[in-house]
Amino acid sequence: MPSTSRRAKAAARAGLDDDLEGLRASFDARLRSERVHLVTLSAALARAEDHPAQIFADLRDRAHRIRGGAAILAIEPIAAAACSLEFAAILAVKSRAGHADTAVWAALVALVRLMGRDDEADEMAALSALREVAAG
Amino acid sequence: MHSDGSAPVLRRVSGSLETAGITRYAHSSRRCRVLVVDDDEFARARIAGVLRNADFDVDAAATAADALRIMHDGDCQILLTDWQMPDMDGLALCRNVRQAGSDRYVYVLMHTVRDSQQDLLAGLAAGADDYLVKGVPVEQFVARMDVARRIAGLRSSSNRNQGRSQGIFSDALTGANNQRYLVKHLSLELLRSRRYEHPFAIINCCVDRFEQINDLFGREAGDELLRELVARVEASTRKGSDWLARVANDEFMIVLPETKVHGAHCVAQKLRESFVRAPVVASSGLVHFTVSIGITAYEPTHNSNASPGLEDMLLAVGRGMAASKNRGGNRVTAAAATSGVDIAVGSLQENGDAIH
Repeated sequence: MPSTSRRAKAAARAGLDDDLEGLRASFDARLRSERVHLVTLSAALARAEDHPAQIFADLRDRAHRIRGGAAILAIEPIAAAACSLEFAAILAVKSRAGHADTAVWAALVALVRLMGRDDEADEMAALSALREVAAG
Repeated sequence: MHSDGSAPVLRRVSGSLETAGITRYAHSSRRCRVLVVDDDEFARARIAGVLRNADFDVDAAATAADALRIMHDGDCQILLTDWQMPDMDGLALCRNVRQAGSDRYVYVLMHTVRDSQQDLLAGLAAGADDYLVKGVPVEQFVARMDVARRIAGLRSSSNRNQGRSQGIFSDALTGANNQRYLVKHLSLELLRSRRYEHPFAIINCCVDRFEQINDLFGREAGDELLRELVARVEASTRKGSDWLARVANDEFMIVLPETKVHGAHCVAQKLRESFVRAPVVASSGLVHFTVSIGITAYEPTHNSNASPGLEDMLLAVGRGMAASKNRGGNRVTAAAATSGVDIAVGSLQENGDAIH
């Protein structure tokens, strides 16, 4: 029979795990919303001319937010993909890259793919099409 | 005893490290309050959950501005802050906390996804005590926070000891120095003045009809008046050199190093006039008040070998204050410290502002 304090500790750990699962479920809902924003931004990027600094900056900030949340909730693949997009966008701003910047598009596609579910394949297809438009 | 033979001097605490076979010890049973600052609601919620589970009290803020407000109003030993935030970033928050120079040391831990060497150095340079990259395992996060708690605990106990030793010399009501401080430090001022042949002056200031004020407005109003008096004296004297001490219920001594009697007279007159001009706004009403002031000074001269003792100076300044009171109050009167050592009271004498 476990002691009272051991049971209390086990309950505290279980409570913490429940909290984490609850937060992950809420975060998942936010990821779906972020995914829509990213696809919208990628559409704007595909249409942009010259150096779309503002779009790169928006992508950088959004990726940073996703990265932070995912890191805290220990969702490593999303955190890593968001980190790649954040750095690619930072470099794109610095180097005054054009709308077809391959590093940004590769990171964007990888992140959106990770954030999606099987029943959200339409958005993925749309993103791939936009990438091709951007690449000319 | 620990497995290494050392005695367990720290309190054992529960937490997730025990699952990894590690026993955690906190420095004491004192509660430790952490302020978590992050613009991301998920980060705030998760960090708060982990910290509460590890026996911390937690406050949370979404912006640096909110964090500063919470820190100003409450008691926080550890500040755990994100770097990138919309209004003021974590570095600026950190600098703000350090520049504020509060009596209580706040342990600052930067918690961010920025993981480069350059970022870490920038965080520490801004005043952070530790730097943690978001996404480290919970065990490491809690271990770092335990270190923060231990150090914050040491800082508070050091502050408390300092406070205790300061308490011996300070007046609980007004925060000014007390009589004990006066006796100890006035004799040092006198020694210094004699050794370097520099002048120094003392002002004795007593509130006129203080008992009547207490009777009319209540004791609380009297206390507010005394606190206000101290604040005004501190605001109108030189910081770092002049100082004051409360020596009786309604009586203060103000010590002015490197000041001759005429300088002290100017300061005393300004104080007297400022009290007349601006009554104290107490909780029970507007309290008009005046003060009776005595001044004396030690002004060494080359042709005089005699110098007053501490008692001579205190008696003289008391005589001056009593003379002001006897003439109806709201006056300044200078008094010589000893018969052997005169003070330059020429013009003061002519105005009736000096006695011997």
